Amino acid sequence: MASEVYEPFRKGLPPLRKYWRTLWNRRAFIAEYSRSELHEQHFDSVFGQVWLILNPLLLSGVYFVLIVIIGGHSDTTRYGHLTACLFLFYLVANTLQGGVKSVTAGQRLILNTAFPRIMLPISATVVAIFKFIPTLLIFAILRTVLGLPVGWQMLWAVPIILITVIFSLGAAMLISCINVYFRDIANFLPYFTRTLLYLSPILWEASAIKPQLRKIELVNPLFSILDSWSRAVVHAQQPHGSALVIAAAWALGIFLLGTYFFLSREREFAVRV
Amino acid sequence: MSNSIHTTGDLAVSVQHLGLTYTTTIDRRPTLKSRLKSMGRGTKQTRVVRALDDVMLDVHYGSVLGVVGSNGAGKSTLMRVISGILPPSQGKVEVFGKVSTLLALGVGFSPSLSGRENVQLGGLAAGMTRREIEDHFDEIAEFAELGDAIDAPMRTYSSGMYARLAFSVAVTVKPDILIVDEALSTGDAKFKEKSLNKIKELRSDSRALILVSHALGTITDICNEVVWLDKGKLIQRGNPDEVVDAYAKFLHVGKSAAINEDV
Repeated sequence: MASEVYEPFRKGLPPLRKYWRTLWNRRAFIAEYSRSELHEQHFDSVFGQVWLILNPLLLSGVYFVLIVIIGGHSDTTRYGHLTACLFLFYLVANTLQGGVKSVTAGQRLILNTAFPRIMLPISATVVAIFKFIPTLLIFAILRTVLGLPVGWQMLWAVPIILITVIFSLGAAMLISCINVYFRDIANFLPYFTRTLLYLSPILWEASAIKPQLRKIELVNPLFSILDSWSRAVVHAQQPHGSALVIAAAWALGIFLLGTYFFLSREREFAVRV
Repeated sequence: MSNSIHTTGDLAVSVQHLGLTYTTTIDRRPTLKSRLKSMGRGTKQTRVVRALDDVMLDVHYGSVLGVVGSNGAGKSTLMRVISGILPPSQGKVEVFGKVSTLLALGVGFSPSLSGRENVQLGGLAAGMTRREIEDHFDEIAEFAELGDAIDAPMRTYSSGMYARLAFSVAVTVKPDILIVDEALSTGDAKFKEKSLNKIKELRSDSRALILVSHALGTITDICNEVVWLDKGKLIQRGNPDEVVDAYAKFLHVGKSAAINEDV
C-alpha cells in the first residue's frame, strides 16, 4: 500500500532523492503552467510574438542611435553585437522578472497542495526560454542581412545558452525566495536589471573597457557570458577559455546557492506567503 | 494514484507525537523598506508560533473523524501536516493512501485563469496525470453546477462558486483519504445538502474522512469519532456526543442554535 511518511527535515533540507523524483513526476505541470502563462500574456498570438521581437529590436535601434551620437561612429558589427547581447540579456532579465513573484503569486496553491515549490521558479524560467527562442531566429536573419562572418565557432552559442539558463534559474530561485521575506524586492528589480544592463558589455564591447575597470569582469556574472556570446555569434570566433570557465563557475555557483537557499526555506513558504 | 479499496478498520493516518513550530512575520506584507526604517529601534519583526504540541492521532478507514476547536487551535495546521504541505518540526506522520485536501482556501491557482485551467493546473501540481484529470473533468464540472462559467476567469466567480468547484474537485478524484476543512460553509442551502450527501456517500465507501468544522450539529451527525484541539494540544478524543458536549461547555455557549447550524 502506498504510504507517505512526513518527518522533520534533516539539516533543514527535504529528503532530496524523493524531492527530485516528485519534481520529475510533475513535469507536466511545468509545461502546462508555462503554456497558460504565455497564453495569459498573449504570447501565443501573432501580435504577441511580433511584440516579443519588436521590443528588443526597437531597444537595440534606440541604443544604436545613442552610440552613434555619443561615440561619433559605428558599424554593422557593433549593431550585431548590441542586438545579440540584448536578446541574451533579455533571457536573464525575463527570467528574473517572471521568477521574482513566482512563489508569492502561487500563494493559493502553496497553501492547499503539497508539491515541490521549486516548480514555480522553474516554470518562470521555461516561460523566459520560450520568449527567447523567436529572438534567436530574428538574430539569424539579422546577421545574414548585416553580412557578419560565419563559422563553426558559432556553435559555442549552445553551451553559452545553457550556462545562461542555469545562471538565470539559480538567480530566479534566489530572488523568488527573497521576495517571500521582502515583498518589495520585486519593485527594486527593474533598477537592478537596468544597472546590470549598463555594467555588462552590451552597449560597449568587452575589449573596449579601460584596464582600471577590468574588475567589473570578475564581479559581474554576465560579463564573461556576454563576452563569450558576442565572440561566438557576432564575430564567429572561439570564445576565451578563461571567460567560459568564469561564466560556467558563476552559473554553477549561483545555481547551487539558489537551490540550497530555496530548498532550505521552502518549508516556511506555507506560513509566510 | 491508488484507488484500491481499503478494508474498514485499516490504519489510514497515523500521527505520532506531532509538534509544529514556525516563525511568521508580524507585518502582513513584510518589506525591505519597512525593515530598514525600523532598524535600530529594536522592534520585533517575527513571532514564533507553537501551532501543534505532541499530538497523537489515528484515523482508520471507514471512519469519519471530526476536528473541533476554537479559532487558532491548530486544526488547519494539523490538516496541512497530514496533507504534506507543512513538514512537522517534531514527531512523525504516516499516511497510507492518497489524500485529497479541501482546505479553507479551496482550489485555485490564478484568478485570471479559467476554472477549467485552474482545475487542470491544480491537479497536475497535486501529482495527477493529464489523463486522470480529463477523465474526471466532466464529472467535476457537472457536480459543481457552474455551467458555462467553468471557462470564465476565476476572478469573476462568487465565493460560493469557488467553494463549489473546490468541493467537486476534492470529492470527484476519489481520494482514499478526504480532508474537508470548513469549506462547506460558503455554498447555498441546496449545495450544502448535496455536499453533505456526497460526504455520507464517501463515508460508506470505506474511505477515511477528516472533517474540520465549527458546526457541531454536522460533526455529531456525521462523525464516528471527534477530537478537540486547543492551542495546539489535543484536549479530548472519543465519542462525538461526549467530546462535542465538553467542547460546548468549554465555550460557555451550551447547545444553542448558533453552533448547530451551518456546516
